[in-house]
Amino acid sequence: MAGELASPAAPPRIARGSSRRAAALRLLRRRLIQAVPLMLGVVVINFVLIQLAPGSFLELMTAENQVSDPATIELLRKTYGLDDPVWLQLVKYIWALMQFDFGFSYRQNRPVIDAISDHLPATLLLMISSITLALAVGVSAGVVASVKVRTFWDSLVSVAAMFFFAAPGFWLGIMLIVLFSVKLGWLPVGGMMTIGDRSGAAGGVLDILHHLILPTLALGLFYAAIYTRVMRSSMLEVAQLDFVRTARAKGLSRNQVTISHVLRNALLPVVTILGVQMGTVLAGSVVIESVFSWPGVGSLLFDSVSSRNYPVVLGIMVLGSLVVIAANIAVDLVYMWLDPRIEIR
Amino acid sequence: MQRLEFIGRFARNRGALIGAVLILVVALMALLAPLFFPVDPLRIVGQPELWPGEDPDFPLGTDSLGRDMLSMIVHGARATLLIGLFASAVATLIGVSVGATAGYFGGWIDEIAMRAAELFQTIPNLIFVLTIVVILGSTLANIVIAIGIVSWTPIARMTRAEFLALRDREFVQACRAMGMGDFRIIAGEILPNALPPVIVLSSLVVAGAILFESAVSFLGLGDPNVASWGRLVGDGRQLIRSSWYICAIPGVAIMITVLCLNLIGDGLNDALNPKLRDR
Repeated sequence: MAGELASPAAPPRIARGSSRRAAALRLLRRRLIQAVPLMLGVVVINFVLIQLAPGSFLELMTAENQVSDPATIELLRKTYGLDDPVWLQLVKYIWALMQFDFGFSYRQNRPVIDAISDHLPATLLLMISSITLALAVGVSAGVVASVKVRTFWDSLVSVAAMFFFAAPGFWLGIMLIVLFSVKLGWLPVGGMMTIGDRSGAAGGVLDILHHLILPTLALGLFYAAIYTRVMRSSMLEVAQLDFVRTARAKGLSRNQVTISHVLRNALLPVVTILGVQMGTVLAGSVVIESVFSWPGVGSLLFDSVSSRNYPVVLGIMVLGSLVVIAANIAVDLVYMWLDPRIEIR
Repeated sequence: MQRLEFIGRFARNRGALIGAVLILVVALMALLAPLFFPVDPLRIVGQPELWPGEDPDFPLGTDSLGRDMLSMIVHGARATLLIGLFASAVATLIGVSVGATAGYFGGWIDEIAMRAAELFQTIPNLIFVLTIVVILGSTLANIVIAIGIVSWTPIARMTRAEFLALRDREFVQACRAMGMGDFRIIAGEILPNALPPVIVLSSLVVAGAILFESAVSFLGLGDPNVASWGRLVGDGRQLIRSSWYICAIPGVAIMITVLCLNLIGDGLNDALNPKLRDR
């Protein structure tokens, strides 16, 4: 839309900027439309799981505290139309979810959506810090390995990447706790804040960061290993392309070429993988959170799983998928920014 | 002759060779576990919390209840490897069926199959596994199926790509001209040619499945009758202050196994794509 508004007479720089913004908007709109069937699919899978579960839907939704209040049961029966045919139940279920009605958690005595959104920020914080760590470590290690290819440094990076690619995150987390908390006493064993901390807002942020270090390492190093491997081979591949030779030929130094030409192009596969793995990162944080008692969605999921609190479990699955879809769209936009040639795939 | 060449190419990758040998050792260990350790690994045999090396009878020490760590590791190899293999088989079965159908028929079937793959990639995988296991029950079969359900998408994409490349080749056209049915062409003619890269991917799926299973067991949602390595790590979690080796040892076992499977995958990849070998 905005692309059409840019008149042909406008200076080229502005036209280019606005058409890129238009392209980004088009991409955004298209991705949002594509997200609708995807979300519908997630909800249907959820519904199928509910139907497959032993026991009735009603029992599932109230399994927690054996709700025996006939009025409540009658209300649930009405809300979810349990006497209706299955297809109508599905429609009602979808309708309820569209209004963000994920059911009621009797354990916490509050709507499921409230319980989940309370825990979401902690998980997002852990996810973002882990991905940042993974990108920073992975990209720099990959660049080092590719610049010093077939040297000691290259081998060292490869061995480290292999190690962290194979180590289960929860185990790595426990080992980090043993080393840095139990033996050295440098970092807290778990949690997100020191109880009774009164050091004010700035101190509070530092306190959270202090608690964030180990979980970030435990979750992020696995992805750092993947990005290292991808980055290394991608750098080596791009370095052989013609435009790199051209850049060298026009007199740029090797470092200049590596940083401003090779690096930017070599990042593309890393960004692609980042998008694909968003769901894995979220899922991985579930286990890491349980190791470090990090008060995020993972801890909530673990509690709910142990107490068979199905509405919360299913709600986390739906909202988790929503987070993944949103993150994927963000990654697509970054991709477009890095490589303007690619508009919409 | 061709096979010898293949093995030669595989063996030239030293990491892959070491991985294959180590996996063989782990597999033998799993197979022969009852021979070496005829006593039930979950039986209490000694003093609790003996450190590795403290008592020559228990080279890897004992856990909080006084059970032999070495025996539990060796027996745990069975559970861990079997779950990994079966889950990967389930994933391969689903992935190959979906990918082959999508790639061969194309059109709206392809469209639906790829949307489904996208859907299964959107749901955070471990959360999906936990949800399935919690709702359907923590049995070995449910865990295997759940891991298979979240792991089939890369295999489907790979199979589809192979089928797209092969479906219009001369030998397939010849089969069609002879009036051969779709199913026979898919299963008997194209599939054998499409399989090699899929097998590479399956070996990586085994590694992933082992990590999934260990996470599920670690969280205490594994089959209560099976002592897999992940569960051993979870059991030792309470004792990290006094006896952290109880957590460390089974974790090392998981890591070595996954590492070897990854190395084998790399080696197979090199051997199948000689062009990429020198990268």
